[in-house]
Amino acid sequence: MTVAARTLASIRATPTLLRVGLAEAIAYRAEFVVWMLTSTMPLVMLGLWTSVAAEGEGAFAQFTADDFIAYYLVTLMVRNLTGNWVLWQINDEIRRGLLSMRLLRPVHPFVTYAASHFASVPLRCVVVLPFALILALSAARAQLTGDPALIALFAAAVLGSWILTFLTLVTLGCLCFFIEKSMALFEVYMGVFAIFSGYLIPLPLLPGWVRDAADWTPFRYMLAFPVETLLGWYDRGDVLGLLGRQWLFVGVMLAIALGLWRAGVRRFEAYGA
Amino acid sequence: MIRTTELKKHYRVHRRPPGLAAAIKSVFHRKYEVVPAVDGVSFAIERGERVGFLGPNGAGKTTTLKVLSGLLHPTSGGVEVDGFEPRRRQADFLKRITLVMGQKQQLIWDLPPSETFALNRAVFDVPDAVFRETMDELDRLLDLGPISSKPARQLSLGERMKCELAAALLHRPTTLFLDEPTIGLDVSMQVAIREFIRAYNERFSATVLLTSHYMEDVAALCPRVIVIDKGTLIYDGDVPSLVKRLHPDKRVSFTRTGPIAVDQLERLGAVVSHDGMRVVLQVPGDRVHDAVVHMLGALPITDLSIEDPPLETVMRELFRASHQSRKSS
Amino acid sequence: MRAARYGRLLGVQMRASAMTAMQYRVDFLIEGAMSLWWLGWNLIPLLVLYRERDVIAGDWDFPSALVVIGWFTMLRGILEGAINPSLVDVVDRIRTGAFDYTLLKPADAQFLVSTSRFAPWRVVDVIGGVALIIYAFVRMDRAPSAGDVALALALLASAALVLYSLWILVVSAAFWVVRLDNLTYLFTAVFDAARWPVQVFRGAWRFVFTFVIPLALMTTYPAMAVLGSIGIGTALLSLAGALVFGALARALWKLAIRNYTSASS
Repeated sequence: MTVAARTLASIRATPTLLRVGLAEAIAYRAEFVVWMLTSTMPLVMLGLWTSVAAEGEGAFAQFTADDFIAYYLVTLMVRNLTGNWVLWQINDEIRRGLLSMRLLRPVHPFVTYAASHFASVPLRCVVVLPFALILALSAARAQLTGDPALIALFAAAVLGSWILTFLTLVTLGCLCFFIEKSMALFEVYMGVFAIFSGYLIPLPLLPGWVRDAADWTPFRYMLAFPVETLLGWYDRGDVLGLLGRQWLFVGVMLAIALGLWRAGVRRFEAYGA
Repeated sequence: MIRTTELKKHYRVHRRPPGLAAAIKSVFHRKYEVVPAVDGVSFAIERGERVGFLGPNGAGKTTTLKVLSGLLHPTSGGVEVDGFEPRRRQADFLKRITLVMGQKQQLIWDLPPSETFALNRAVFDVPDAVFRETMDELDRLLDLGPISSKPARQLSLGERMKCELAAALLHRPTTLFLDEPTIGLDVSMQVAIREFIRAYNERFSATVLLTSHYMEDVAALCPRVIVIDKGTLIYDGDVPSLVKRLHPDKRVSFTRTGPIAVDQLERLGAVVSHDGMRVVLQVPGDRVHDAVVHMLGALPITDLSIEDPPLETVMRELFRASHQSRKSS
Repeated sequence: MRAARYGRLLGVQMRASAMTAMQYRVDFLIEGAMSLWWLGWNLIPLLVLYRERDVIAGDWDFPSALVVIGWFTMLRGILEGAINPSLVDVVDRIRTGAFDYTLLKPADAQFLVSTSRFAPWRVVDVIGGVALIIYAFVRMDRAPSAGDVALALALLASAALVLYSLWILVVSAAFWVVRLDNLTYLFTAVFDAARWPVQVFRGAWRFVFTFVIPLALMTTYPAMAVLGSIGIGTALLSLAGALVFGALARALWKLAIRNYTSASS
């Protein structure tokens, strides 16, 4: 099939893929609960930092308790919306030889993966809703920006964040083609991600060199960037600039992912499952 | 000694109609229905018998085996194996039985089967001397050779199955439940496993209850068959009687050495196949004698043989008959 | 007699696990290196915190917080080395149906399932944790009394029991809800909060982390014991609580097995 024909096939298949993906996501109710509970780290951090801030005359390094509440709740929401488990899925499919089935389809596997994970976003919105409500009703909502343009840019940033996260995880997944137990690598990734994306601790609280280093990694643009945008830390011009950088990273990761995937599949087909 | 009395096993299953709306609804409210997997089955098997358990997919064979081995509690009815009530899963009971499931494996995947053997030995508390003796016999009967020291994942399906059997039998159980042990294996391996089961049964006077899709396996190994369909028992007896009851026709095949008119053939019986010089006829049982006498006397033929129709055909007839009677009742 | 038999069984299982681990030699080294990496990484939030503050939650200074992290690391080693691997194995067995074979064996299913797999390289975590604690005491320029150490070890054992019981609860859930593959991530995520002294949390948080998910019991109390600052009443209560929790978990496990054998196919 020509590239054009494949692309057309992919586009035509997408609505169905999405619908099936959503049904799949709904079918496993308990897994959903588990996944929900996995994202509790920001809440723990929230508990920690608000106590620490309360102790120190209301602030820790210029962050008040409200600052922390706003930061971590938004972080939690963005993380839940953009996270996915495609890395685990790819690893599983390679191990069990199920990848062959996916390769037989006339649609590029990235599309099928993306569709099935993107399809769960509506469900994730439902999960995230309680936190959004808590934030909206608490005093911390004053920390959020009121500028509608910024909010719109925030939405764009979240979308870019989703794609970037997806591509990064797929790239990591490709390593499963080459390394036996790549799940160890995933642990390293999680650790590095937690620091450089601001998931564990807001970036301004970390030493300067960490912040500078983070700028050069995709991690910052996977989480910290949208969060900081919604918190109104930048003006519109800055955000547009950062958005540009985010999409630059998307392009880079896409290229790497495609290349690595092709190399990996060739290896997979040579050596078998 | 295996005995069941009006054994019933019903499941609650969640049914979900297709479509997105239904999918969302099922998150909050699930509808269940009752599926009768086994619906009133009674039979008795004596020590040392080899019994085949036949039936189409979903008939309830695996469920029955699981109830007999204590993995499932029956919904109602009596079950007794070797004087024990399986559902209680007492240690003494578990040491006397074994269940081999052809589609699931118990060998540790990354290690040689010998490690699984060592583990089972420890779990079943088999004394060293007995273990050595049993392993030597199993080694001999199954022709294991060096394969038990290669990691399980490197073995072929047939080799794995042999090791699975060894692992399942090293505690010398006297009651064997075998669920599709030869599934997916090639013909020569099927024969080898079949012979092994027969040897084990004779050597240790073990009771064997075997399910299989391969009718020939069952017919060759088991003098008695129990047939289940949709959870009810529809036949319990030996194979020849079953064949005679359902399919009193015989298959007569021969090679013709000269031309034979078609209507001449059709007068003798229904033509099943006419492949070049080889002819196969289906002849009603009571006319076989006369037909054969006529053939040998009057027709140019050689290599005459008389057989029962294949068990597959017989079984299909049996299931069709049971479905008819179910529909009319 | 039965204890001897189960002891032998444990030996056989551990040997099989060690052999499986040896099969993937490179992983052995990688995982060992990973443990060291995590040790360092775990200290980052602590360093950020103590850059600004000398003491948090009243009397937790940097070295004493280090002790908590030390216990956390040790316990994490036990979790990832002795508890999680079997969890993954069991959930997988339930999914493929191979769990039936476990039920056919004349030994306690919970025992078989709990000892089915170990990750021996996690002993690095335990060593690392001990090293951290020693370093903390060196910084404080004192040594714990023998009694304190004994009490701390007892509390560590009860912490392991609580963690193990939590795991049994989760696996019991796997019988009803067949697909629970990301359980280990859940465990690690929730457990992660245990690196902080429980007194750091306020109000509802502290209640949750003391009684609902007893993380306080797991790391804070052993730390307080070895630092000599735990009340004997609290310690005894925790030990008793751990035993009760263990009994609860076993009861639920048996319920789950009863359900499995009546409702699955």
